[in-house]
Amino acid sequence: MTMLQHALLVLLLPLASAAVIALFLRRSGGIASILSTATAAAIAGFALLLALNNDRFSASFEWLRLGNFALSIGFKFDDLAALMLVIVGIVGLCVHVFSLGYMHEDAAKARYFGGLSIFMFSMLGIVFADNLFMMFIFWELVGFSSYLLINHWHENAAPAAASKKAFIANRVGDFGFLLGIVMCYWANGTVNFTELATKADTHALVISTAIPLLLFCGAVGKSAQLPLQVWLPDAMEGPTPVSALIHAATMVAAGIYMLCRINVLMVPDALTVIMWTGAATALYAALCAIVQSDIKKVLAYSTLSQLGYMVAAFGLGSLTVSHAHGADTHTIVLAAGVGAAMFHLTTHAFFKALMFLGSGSVIHGCHHEQNIFRMGGLAKKMPFTFVTFTLGVAAIIGFPFLAGFFSKDAILYLAFANNKAVFAVLALTAVLTSLYMVRLWKITFLGAPRSDAASHAHEGGLTLTAPLLVLAVLTVVGGYTGIYPDVFSGVFDLIPEAHGSDHTVILLTSLAVTVLGAGAALALYGSTATDSLQQKSPGLFGALTGLQFSFDRGYEYYVAKVQQRFALFLNFLEQIFLAGLIVRGLAGIVGLVGLGARALHVGRLNVYVYWFLLGIVILWIYATFNF
Amino acid sequence: MSTLPFDPLLVAIFAPLAVALAIACGLPKRFSVKLAYVGFGLPLLLALHVWFYYGTAAQTHGYAFLTSYSTGLDNLGIGLKLGLNGISLPLFVLAGIVGFAAGLYAIQSGAERLKIYLMLLLVMQGGLMGVFASVDIFFFYFFHELALIPTFIMVGIWGGRDRNYAAMKLTIYLTLGAMLSLIGLIALYVKSGAHSFDLIELRRVIAAQPLEATVQHNIFGLLALGFGILVSIWPLHTWAPLGYGAAPSSAAMLHAGVLKKFGLYGLIQIALPLLPAGLIHWSHPLAWLAVVGNVLVIGFVTIAQRDLKQMVGYSSVMHMGYAFLGIAAGSTLGVGGVVLLMVAHGLSVALMFLLTTSVYQRTHTFALDEMGGLAQKAPVLSALFVAATFAGIGLPGFANFWGELTIFVALWKFSPLITILAVAGVVISAVYGLRAAARVFFGPATPEFAKIAAEHPVSDLRWSERLPALILLAALMFIGFWPKSLSTALDATLSPAPAAQVGAVK
Repeated sequence: MTMLQHALLVLLLPLASAAVIALFLRRSGGIASILSTATAAAIAGFALLLALNNDRFSASFEWLRLGNFALSIGFKFDDLAALMLVIVGIVGLCVHVFSLGYMHEDAAKARYFGGLSIFMFSMLGIVFADNLFMMFIFWELVGFSSYLLINHWHENAAPAAASKKAFIANRVGDFGFLLGIVMCYWANGTVNFTELATKADTHALVISTAIPLLLFCGAVGKSAQLPLQVWLPDAMEGPTPVSALIHAATMVAAGIYMLCRINVLMVPDALTVIMWTGAATALYAALCAIVQSDIKKVLAYSTLSQLGYMVAAFGLGSLTVSHAHGADTHTIVLAAGVGAAMFHLTTHAFFKALMFLGSGSVIHGCHHEQNIFRMGGLAKKMPFTFVTFTLGVAAIIGFPFLAGFFSKDAILYLAFANNKAVFAVLALTAVLTSLYMVRLWKITFLGAPRSDAASHAHEGGLTLTAPLLVLAVLTVVGGYTGIYPDVFSGVFDLIPEAHGSDHTVILLTSLAVTVLGAGAALALYGSTATDSLQQKSPGLFGALTGLQFSFDRGYEYYVAKVQQRFALFLNFLEQIFLAGLIVRGLAGIVGLVGLGARALHVGRLNVYVYWFLLGIVILWIYATFNF
Repeated sequence: MSTLPFDPLLVAIFAPLAVALAIACGLPKRFSVKLAYVGFGLPLLLALHVWFYYGTAAQTHGYAFLTSYSTGLDNLGIGLKLGLNGISLPLFVLAGIVGFAAGLYAIQSGAERLKIYLMLLLVMQGGLMGVFASVDIFFFYFFHELALIPTFIMVGIWGGRDRNYAAMKLTIYLTLGAMLSLIGLIALYVKSGAHSFDLIELRRVIAAQPLEATVQHNIFGLLALGFGILVSIWPLHTWAPLGYGAAPSSAAMLHAGVLKKFGLYGLIQIALPLLPAGLIHWSHPLAWLAVVGNVLVIGFVTIAQRDLKQMVGYSSVMHMGYAFLGIAAGSTLGVGGVVLLMVAHGLSVALMFLLTTSVYQRTHTFALDEMGGLAQKAPVLSALFVAATFAGIGLPGFANFWGELTIFVALWKFSPLITILAVAGVVISAVYGLRAAARVFFGPATPEFAKIAAEHPVSDLRWSERLPALILLAALMFIGFWPKSLSTALDATLSPAPAAQVGAVK
């Protein structure tokens, strides 16, 4: 088989799996789970095969043609896609295996695994897409699979509401995304990534700030950036493995992947907006994470914050790098934003999936307890989960020599070199990250158990622990770009690296923020059943909680007081004015005089028709002379 | 190449009519129902047959399967001329599929006086096949009337709440719309000087000698208004939610799904190629009316609905706004998008009306506030309903997506501002669609529904209900995954653009 056929197979396998489950395995959850997991294993295998093979290719098939407009489904398999494919494949397989154990007793297992397969199909479509229309198609489909999986326990009100909110928030972002695609199509005559890059090389690309910003709207929705971040914390209503796969490692990272794909369309003004959006999200979410008591909510806000990091990294843009070759010094412009963002995306996928699955292991062990203040002492009860989770925490706070340390430093360096204000925001965020993660770690795992559930906690079976092990290994080694085969060099060569005095500054900053945050957390939080911050500084705690809910309150106000009232008002006009008055023969005046409108007209068909015709004639005359 | 020994189009039209006649002549009920399967099945099979063979069939004047039958009215230029081009083929197929699904649903519905109900539906079905197979404008119009009259009767007799008022309102509006468009068509006939209702002949004559601009403006306006009423353009749409709310489900499926498309079809097949200057003249007012009225105002009105069936009715009005926008854009892409949307909307709205009725049979109410948690008791119904909802809000994988996407792309060239307003509709439709799905199916049951469920045990969708729903869903997904199945024929017919002179380039 050629590599293209492999790629096609990878894309279609999960679709076939989902179709078989939907059609035949609705009542056979066990077979469905095995089929879906086997598919995920095949995807992971083919993903590695495709990525490690040096063959990079693109191909495209026409899918629809009307006039001059052609829409293609195609594959653009370069190093960027290869890296993303491997991430989706590995994390996808880990999550499938974990789900075998975690969802073992679920009544609707078939629906769950079918949903996972649809998700894999949709996500792989985004990875392979060679043009924006195709990306948009799969973009919508991941939104749908996310809806499906968040709503897994649909008999409860909260998942039903959360799934709806997630889809609508994404739709708001997609409103801009779609307009951006259409605008790009008419401006440049193509939305194919390769053709856009060719046009950029020959300076034939239309320079526009609107296009990249509209496209960025899509990333704001999917990657949950301010102000559309509200759906992601609520999405934690879905099963925990789903949170790991979709709402931490892959789908929410699709926004960053998309930005890297359209890097050639970027202009400085757009990048500035993107940079500040990311930085603001990073800081905002880190502040919210401090006051969470639900283990998954802490991780959700942490994900938001890290996504903000990636978006900010992308927005920081390119870096001018000088290379000294003896007497010559030549300067190149490095697409460092892409490199740093994708690097952090990679390491984050590993350590955040690890922590989410770890939280799943904890929740499973504690019989569906999610409140960290009702846990405690789990280090002894669940040692394997404890060790792997600790590695995840160490990685995210930038503990030296773990994955997050390298990727976070790359971003901090890029910020240091390009924009000191953003550097300050990101450094502050890093302190907070260290604070809330160590807080979570200490309250959950150390001290004594604070509930029956925690004191009877137990480690899960092999299906729960094996994925943790795989991800823990990747968390430890994933930051060493040297270990990646050359096949990803198209991405990893773009990672900015500090040299000389810059290197020292970054390293010291990085260590300082980690120690500062972790030290504060260790000092502040004890193994208590209540939040120490809430005890010691209720004002601050209240302010942070208020900050967390501020957006939700705003949107709730909008929906209930603005949108709904506006809709009811229009509906009132519709019923009274249109249906009641105009329609009863444009005889508005008669209707007003009579008011008992309905009775007046029923049975007097001729009058009704005459009035109507008269109204039409008047409209007609008006229209003829006005247009 | 099709090798049938008979004319598939003629048989598709007259098979249901013949069955209807047989039922009218007093066929016993057992045989009536059995024969009704034939009456609904044959058009479907023949529609699928011509769809499959369209690409390889011989084409005359851009039409495949072209045949002519004398009617004795030849000196008036009226002849029964049947044929399909890339515009009518998708709608002919739509009529076959929706007709079959509506027929199956009607047969299992256990309606009172089932024989007469089926007879009227069969007449409607015959008329629908005729509308899209006719190349002659006279018969195009005649078949529409043939399908329309049973609708009024069915609403009046088998309708739900307010059926008398609804039937009357429906009759007045639709008759008025049909009358206005008839005046327009006659004006076209007279002004063209072709002395023929044959569309091919009309095109030839008008291409040789285009009508003067003022004439085009007036006739186009007349047609747009008449057809517009039939397609529920704002603010002349109020018959639609009311009428569909009252109509029995199979009649609503056939009318909202297929018959309503008559107006758009008329605009695309007749008005656009014959009256290009008329489109230029009217495109901006038409587009603004559609985007502000149908898409935005009706979109918000749909959000405000608390009655499931009303919501479906209003959402259908909203989606017709997109169709008008595609027509206003005028390019091959825009008009092709409208045809895709017509087919997609026809399938999805029929599916929605079917499922809404099935929901009602389990909840005994349409009030959204009195439902909840139905998914636990009826998972298949819930899965199909959610699929239909996502089809309606334009999720890729369903045919509707292609219609909306192509219309949006075409519309940008026409007016970026209108496009922005129109695309806002995709958020609005997500809001009302998902809200309704959540209210009906998810979360815990409301006390009202818990009470009803205790009195009337709720079962999942029976196979007799499932089958028509699955047929519609399969068609939506088939086109969704393989849009070329329709777009290739469409593209061949529409290129060069139906209103090439328009090009809608500003």
